[in-house]
Order: sequence, then structure tokens, then C-alpha cells
Amino acid sequence: MAWAFDLVAGPYRGRTGGLAWDGKAMLFSAVLEERIERFDPASGKTGTFRKYTGRTNGIAIAADGSVFGAQEGGRRVIHFLNNGSTAPTNDLLDGQHHNQPTDVAVDTQGRVWIADTWNAQAPYGPPVYPFPDHASVLRLERDERGAWRLNRVTSDTRGPRSVRLSVDERTLYVADGDVERDDACTLRAYPLDGDGRVGQGSVLHAFGAGERGIQGMCLDSDGNIVACGGWKKNGPGPAIYVFSPDGRVVEKQPAPADWPMRCEFGDAGRDSLYLTTGGGHLYRAQKIGRKGAPR
Amino acid sequence: MSEAHGQAGGPQIEVDNVAAAGAGHIIDPHPSWETVAPDILFGEGPVWDPRNRQLFFTDICGDTIWKWKPGSGGEAILKPSAKANGMCLDLEGRLVVAGWGGRTVFRIEQGGSLQTLASQWEGKKLNSPNDIVTRADGSIYFTDPSGGLFNVGMVQDDLQRYLDIAGVFRIAPDGRMSLMTADSVYPNGLCFSPDEKLLYVNCSRERLIRVYDVKPDGTLGPWRLFFQYAHPERGNPDGMKCDVEGNLYCTGPGGIWVHRPDGRVLCRLKLRGHATNFAFGDDDWKTLYITMVGSVTRTRLNIAGVPSLK
Repeated sequence: MAWAFDLVAGPYRGRTGGLAWDGKAMLFSAVLEERIERFDPASGKTGTFRKYTGRTNGIAIAADGSVFGAQEGGRRVIHFLNNGSTAPTNDLLDGQHHNQPTDVAVDTQGRVWIADTWNAQAPYGPPVYPFPDHASVLRLERDERGAWRLNRVTSDTRGPRSVRLSVDERTLYVADGDVERDDACTLRAYPLDGDGRVGQGSVLHAFGAGERGIQGMCLDSDGNIVACGGWKKNGPGPAIYVFSPDGRVVEKQPAPADWPMRCEFGDAGRDSLYLTTGGGHLYRAQKIGRKGAPR
Repeated sequence: MSEAHGQAGGPQIEVDNVAAAGAGHIIDPHPSWETVAPDILFGEGPVWDPRNRQLFFTDICGDTIWKWKPGSGGEAILKPSAKANGMCLDLEGRLVVAGWGGRTVFRIEQGGSLQTLASQWEGKKLNSPNDIVTRADGSIYFTDPSGGLFNVGMVQDDLQRYLDIAGVFRIAPDGRMSLMTADSVYPNGLCFSPDEKLLYVNCSRERLIRVYDVKPDGTLGPWRLFFQYAHPERGNPDGMKCDVEGNLYCTGPGGIWVHRPDGRVLCRLKLRGHATNFAFGDDDWKTLYITMVGSVTRTRLNIAGVPSLK
């Protein structure tokens, strides 16, 4: 049965992006309005969680309730602290500035996994620093003194657009490739050992040439990857895919608008799927028959 | 940092856009130039110290305030520098600094200690002070856009913007701070006319220069449009200064634009590279020190600039 999406917020000026369920409400990025919004399903109202986010897209909530954001405009991952301030992290990889992070995930050890990719929209400020010759998944972790250490954890990605970890944190899922740079778009999986070391990756799903692939994803309670992507321009169209952990497409639903951007489970039973779009919407489909993975 | 002379490396300067006879009054048609600081990341904040015949400038991304003396070369005087940006001299010749990344305005005392002059407005942290000028009455005016909270390689500890305005502020001689205007979305360079009856403020996002009448008490009247840039070359209004005849110089598309007091373009110093700011200097105030992305260079003019020390 087709999921019934309703528009619950927007449209905003420009694309909406990353989502995170805070336990009571859905945080989501109005990327070009440079805000993180908060939709409260109890009241049906949307307010602003944080202004002046510098084109933050992907967001993830840490154990203490603070929020990490992939700040595309600032070419860094930032940390929205609970006191209202915003801290930088380490944006130097081997002494060089990385790309423009677009998505983040936080694991139970507090490490931040980053989809660090190219972006069609240049970062803020004069172009002082060159871009690296790779676009990889990076990971921030605290050193013994509490300072952020930044490492590169993939070497075979072309342009990672979304990162998620399995519930047992033994698998890293990466939506890779930017069709507008002529990349082949894939869904990839990397085994992780108990120390977080990343093993050899494999392709779970390969999209056809010219297809937009996956922009955003989340996990359901069965460990499936719920991924949104595609576009009207070609291929199967804008859609939400449900991939099994081994990469089979077990369900596919049409998206309610073109350019689906990111998706996340929310609401009291975490049985609703929220979706952001290139047109700046926040859609919600209630009781879709799936629940979000435990957080 | 070493002193480098000659024509190799650094920016090349040409004079173009000669809109009317009179450009030769400003600069020769084929000016020579000399790179004085070839090894910096992002030059800004140049100010000539006439008492000690030396140039101060900042390297924002290098997080350093430099002193450069002809014949002696460069010396770092403050590192880290709060990602310092624009600078000026107060009436006593002390450096007053727009602390871009650190979100304050501070003064470097004669003994080298730092004195914070401004850090908040109405209980909220400033955005990121960008450029700064002194008025003859001892008051200090500075712009407060938000770029120091976002620009790559220029931020400090707290990247949250709290103010909904991007103001031009005045610090009175008694230390009191007041908001002069919040007309611009990204106020950047600012300077007074030689008689201090006008204040020019440019906006990098809108690519224009506003001009205000300055009242005797230092407050401003309503703004008028002085110039709107529409040139296709890269570059937005940034550093800005006046010469003694009231011509206004502004970094903009492709180099430094020279405007007559009525706004018309007199000429442009076309630069190979990204100029951020400049300062008149040397004993006759006819040397133009230009801060660039990657270097500081200088060239000679045929007209003197307004001295940095009132």
C-alpha cells in the first residue's frame, strides 16, 4: 500500500535537508534559510531550533542532546551545544581542509561519522584553501585530552552523501556518488570491528548510469536501510527504497515530491517517516508499517 | 617572512578603466610594484605607523599580526591574534584591532598587553568585527558582519551568531558603545572623508558603497547610495580609504577602484590576485600598501592618502 505523505512544514526557500528525532519532535534543516527547524507533532507547529547555521544540512543528536551539523557553507562539522553556543570541530585532515560535509552520524562512543563531499555551492569566504583530491567518509573522535582528532575512513568513495551505522555499529552504510559529477551512484556497506576500524567495503546496490541515486537514509527496526533519492529527470523517479541489510530492494514507494533529500523516522511510536525535499518541504507519512531503529 | 623585491611573483598592477582625464593625477599608467610579504595566507588590516615608519598588517588565516619595517622585514607581534582583521591607530598611536574570529575589538597597549574595548551589544556577543577607523575626536567606528563565524579557516571558539543585525558601531572616547547603523547585510570596509563630514560604508553582499553625513555628535544621518558595483569580474567591496582630495579607494571587482567624491569612477588599479585592503604609507603618504590573499605588495601613487594618525 502506498504511503500517504502529508506536507507538515514548508515550503522553505530552497532545499530542506538533514533530519533528527529528538524524542518529542523532528529537527530538520532548512539549508538555504540557514536554520534548523523543529516540528512538534503534538501541536502540529513548527518553530526554530537554531538560526544562522551556515547552510547546515545533515544533523545528528549526541547522547547529551547536543546536535552535530554538517555545515556545507563553512566546510566543517559544527557542534550546536545545549547552552546555545556553537563549537567548531577539527576541520583539518592531515593539515589540509577537507571538503564540504553534507551528512553526519554519531555513534555510541560519541564519534562523529562524516559524509565529506563536493558541493555545487561554494563555501563561505574567499577561496583560500584548495580542496582535497578525494571525497571520503571521515570520522571525528576525541583524543585523550578531549580535542577532536579527524581521520579518513574510506578510500574508495567518489562523493559520500549520506552515512549511517547499523544498530550494532558493526556496519557503516554509505550512499556514494554525485550524478551531477558523472559519478556512479551506489549504496555501500563497510564492516567495522569492535574498535571502529573500517574494513573492505562492498556495493549493496548500484544505480544505473545517470540516475541520481540516494541522497539520504535512515534505518528501520529490522535493520533495513530506508533510503530516499531519485528524480523525475530520469530513471525510476523520486522514490523511497527499503533495502535489506544485504542490499535487496524489499520495498519501494514513490516520493511525494521531486528531489527527495533525506528521511528519518519520528513520532511517538517512531512509525512515521519524515522526508525533506529539494523544494523545501517537510513531508510525513504516518503508520507506514515500519518503525525506526532504536537510537 | 622575508622581504622580496622585484617583479617576480605576487600581483601585477595595471591601471585601466580610465573614465576621464585625471587618472595620471592618481597613479602612473604603468606603476611598478614590490612584494613586501610574500609568504602569508590572507593579508588584511594594513595600517602605516608614521612614528616608527613601519607597516602593521594581519594574516587572518595565519592568525598573526605582523609588523613590517622597510629594510628590516617582518616580525610577528601577536600570534595567535584572535584571527585579527582590520586595524587602525588611535590618537595615541596604539593599534586598535577588529578581532574578527575572537568577536571583540581590542587595543594593543604600548607595553603589549591587550585591552578589550567591545565584545557585546545589548548583552549578546558581537558577530565578527571586520574593519575599523578612528575619528579625530578619538571615537572608533567598526563594522560587524558575520563572516568570521563562517569563513573557512577564519573562525575561533564560538561560531553561533546571536545578533540579528550586522551593525556599524561607535566606541566613544569614554568607552561607551552605540549602534550607528544596521542598514547593510554585510558591512565591511569603512572610512571617513578627509574632513570627517562623511562616513563611507561598503557592503560586500550588496556590492555597494553607502555614504552617510556625520553629525557633530558622531551619529549618522540617513544613507545615500554612493556607488553600486555591477562589474562581472570577481571581487566585492572590502577595504576602503580616502586620499587627501577626497577620492575614495575601494577594493572591488578585479582590483582597487578609485572614485571621485561624487562617486564616478576615476580609474581602477587592476590587480592579478585578490586584494583585500590597503593603506597609504611612507613619509609622504603616497605609497599604497596592498594586502592580498597570499601576500602584501606596495606601489607608488602621485597623490597622498589621508594619514592614519589623526
